[in-house]
Amino acid sequence: MREGVLLTLPKYDLVTEYLTVFSKDIERVSNEKGIFLKSLKETAVNRKEFEDVLNKLNCKMIVFNGHGDEISIFGNRKEVLVKVGENEGILKDRIVYARSCAAASILGKECIRNSKGCFIGYVLPFEFYFDSEWIGNPIKDNTAKWFLESSNLVPISIIKGNNSGESHRRAKNQMLKNIKKVLRLRTPESFSIAESLWNNYIGQVLLGNEEVKLCE
Amino acid sequence: MMEEKEKFDNEINERMKEIVIARIDAQVPSNLKLAMGTYGEMSKEEMIEHVKKGDETGKQIVNRHILFLRALASGEFTRAIASVE
Repeated sequence: MREGVLLTLPKYDLVTEYLTVFSKDIERVSNEKGIFLKSLKETAVNRKEFEDVLNKLNCKMIVFNGHGDEISIFGNRKEVLVKVGENEGILKDRIVYARSCAAASILGKECIRNSKGCFIGYVLPFEFYFDSEWIGNPIKDNTAKWFLESSNLVPISIIKGNNSGESHRRAKNQMLKNIKKVLRLRTPESFSIAESLWNNYIGQVLLGNEEVKLCE
Repeated sequence: MMEEKEKFDNEINERMKEIVIARIDAQVPSNLKLAMGTYGEMSKEEMIEHVKKGDETGKQIVNRHILFLRALASGEFTRAIASVE
């Protein structure tokens, strides 16, 4: 298996646009660390392309951005990329991070069966607040930053050489730090942001191998 | 007996909805939008509308408020944030 990352970047609504824009940090760190990264962008985030690219490049780590449910992860315009009972075997032995809704509940459990890899995802809907005044330039949105930078820590920490368990804990720890920081600010939105970060904190789970690394 | 229980559950649900609506109204500035997984993005007014209607999105919003209030009441939230620098 290649020591590289396959990153999905759908961008067809505000939610996926924010996830995609904030994923630039993952691409940047990967580049700095000399780790191979292939981004699947916008309309290319379809099942055929996803399976073809994964079969060809055989990346050890997959980072999914986008919508999903308990049994599926979606790509562009909610096209199913991976679904229980159809192709979850494609994730076997890989490090998977799914920044999508509730996919850890069933899909995550299924894809770590007899696998040396792991699945980091959410058993609750992943959520974030954003400021409607910044939708034209999401990267400057300081509200969304609280959520998306802390969740970025999962793949970034793995790319930097930490194992899956350490990376999972670092991201969760950063969420708690952000809760503390935002509550200290005492702005009108502080409590809403803290509650939402708490939702992601309790919802993020690591299933499978806690010791696995991108580069052994 | 079943009817009384159902009536009691409905009353609790209605009160819970009222609490959640009051919390959203007091805590969410109107410039913020919530992106909640597959439920999509919504403004403060839309969140309140979903809770009032009691649709799937509204139920999910209520559920997440309950989870947070439980964590506050049990001390889980305070312990967790006290555990970090």
